[in-house]
Amino acid sequence: MKLDGSDNGDSMRKFILALPLIAGFLVAVFLLDLMLGAVNIPPDAILTIISGGTVKATWMNIFWDWRVPKAVTALCAGGALALSGLLMQTFFRNPLADPYILGISSGASLGVAIIMMSAGIFGAGAVLAGLGILGNMSISVAAIIGAFAVLLLILLISSKIQSNMTILILGIMVSYMSGAIVTILLQFSDESSMHTYSLWTFGSFSGVTWSQLPILTFLILIGFLLSFCLVKPLNALLLGEQYAESMGMNYRRIRIIIISTTALMAGVVTAFCGPIGFLGIAIPHFCRAVFVSADHRVLVPACILVGGIIAIVTDIISRVPGTDIILPLNAITALFGAPVVIWVILRGTKFGRGVTT
Amino acid sequence: MSDAAILSCSGLTIGYRNQKTIVKEVATDLNLHLDRGEVVCLIGPNGSGKSTLIRTLTGIQPPLDGEVRLCNRRIEEYGPEERATTLSVVLTGQIQAGYLTAFDIVALGRFPYTNWAGKLTESDRAIVYSALASVGAADLSGRFIHEMSDGERQKVMIARALAQEPELMVLDEPTAFLDLPHKIETMRILRQVARKNKKAILLSTHDLNTAIRCADQLWIIDREGTLVAGTPEDLVLSGIFGSAFAIEGVCFDTRRGEFSIPVDHRGTFTLTAPEESVERIWTLYALERIGYAPAGEAEAGIHVMVTKDSLRTRWHVRHSCGERECGSIRELIEWLSTTEGDEN
Repeated sequence: MKLDGSDNGDSMRKFILALPLIAGFLVAVFLLDLMLGAVNIPPDAILTIISGGTVKATWMNIFWDWRVPKAVTALCAGGALALSGLLMQTFFRNPLADPYILGISSGASLGVAIIMMSAGIFGAGAVLAGLGILGNMSISVAAIIGAFAVLLLILLISSKIQSNMTILILGIMVSYMSGAIVTILLQFSDESSMHTYSLWTFGSFSGVTWSQLPILTFLILIGFLLSFCLVKPLNALLLGEQYAESMGMNYRRIRIIIISTTALMAGVVTAFCGPIGFLGIAIPHFCRAVFVSADHRVLVPACILVGGIIAIVTDIISRVPGTDIILPLNAITALFGAPVVIWVILRGTKFGRGVTT
Repeated sequence: MSDAAILSCSGLTIGYRNQKTIVKEVATDLNLHLDRGEVVCLIGPNGSGKSTLIRTLTGIQPPLDGEVRLCNRRIEEYGPEERATTLSVVLTGQIQAGYLTAFDIVALGRFPYTNWAGKLTESDRAIVYSALASVGAADLSGRFIHEMSDGERQKVMIARALAQEPELMVLDEPTAFLDLPHKIETMRILRQVARKNKKAILLSTHDLNTAIRCADQLWIIDREGTLVAGTPEDLVLSGIFGSAFAIEGVCFDTRRGEFSIPVDHRGTFTLTAPEESVERIWTLYALERIGYAPAGEAEAGIHVMVTKDSLRTRWHVRHSCGERECGSIRELIEWLSTTEGDEN
């Protein structure tokens, strides 16, 4: 009887048993990410730095100003993307939903494109001078403003609309519209801003500075916390909104919280790391298949941890250890992630499972 | 009796209010009540307003006039959680969910009772198991919902509604996609739940034949939005049942209590057979199916006599152009068809 399913909280128990293993793996890849890079810092030097000792100043700088923020960013961003993907897949009851389905990242991209390319169109001096105070924050700020504008639009319309399928279509339409505006901007922009923009769309965990890191981690931790508070309504939503409402869930309120939480996490990640694809759609499926559960009490922590691990591993691979080549992060997530997910999902079909939300 | 009513409504008008001015009344002045331990089938043709009535009675849609009382309180007065502990639903259509076991789904029925994380206590678990046992699905507990048959899924969904520990369970077409034995099994489970667990059950169905045999009360809505309530047998006898569903080409057979397909009249017959025998009933059905009507000895076109001994049953058939002894009803029908032309 117990062979073929998770009866009465079995999946929870299995997850708790696997937790030390997953956490250990997370620590291992985190440390590995700190050790590997274009500049070769020997492991004992890394250990000395971590334990508070002093080594060569350049190594210290590379370690603290470069590798630590990057690893922490990857950890947060991976978890946030996986979690917002999970939220959207459950909310829309659609296995193809991802964190960006509401058009949040398109709004962010539009904000970034306007900042980067309007410089070329309206004269670089005027715009960049105005943004000077913000320094390298300008791209993040533009992305956040864009994401926030889309979120407001979605919330405004969803307060008048009952069906969440309409919201889904709306989000896709917003994506197309901002995509169109970005294309027009690209047409009129000069080559260098075009290049800067396409570099941004590759995605990267390394653009975050120490001054930005607390903002990023704080906002994403709020997203994690909100997601933990949502586990019960998310479980109820597995049966559909009508069942959830009949069980006493306040659908309108939960809907606003789910949309805002997703927008917060996806928006912040896009703002600081660019539009990183694939992780958000694949990791929830991966977690469901590995832990053989749809219970969000398992999936929420699982997505945070597994998302963090995979994001860090992706970052390690994209830097091609031992060389100074840096491959686009977005290419690596899909190129190395997709076969893993395909394997996990196909392995499931032997038992008649396959992709299901 | 009416103070014991779990669900009652008086002077209820249901329908839609599109804008401020356009009002579409579906049914007016409904007075209904539903007691503990009772199974009520709501039946009516497509488009008669069954869903509107169910939506109004469960508080999803406000009534245009009148009031709905659930356990002697107006349904609007209930908070969402309070309503969830008094009223549970099984919706039409199947849920699409992967990686959920029967236990997980039934446990979701405990939603209004559990803490913020939905943690089940020992008593919650016991309730989930007993709900599964009540619908005869105890052995399904660890199975995944997407690996179950339609009949098994429906049991699990009923168990989920039961685990919500409501006074009233409302089911929207729970038998719609089941085959006949599973339809009957589902109805049996619902009756059992109503009696043993002391719940009031309201279900809508298109399945008139099962409804007549299983319901304590029928609520029939016709296309004009007139609702008649009563015991199935009374409604059949008064002819209301037949007229509510009358459409061209289909008529209600009051004797059999089901809808029969009208056939072209071919002739008349007399039937001699052992009284109360099964053979008598099915020979009768067969003759009626191919278009013969019973008649008196004098005017009947064909005469059938069924004889039965310990070994076999024989059908002896005779009409103006000949007679024959047949070993099965099929043979009887075939002989009648081939000789039909000669007879007239």
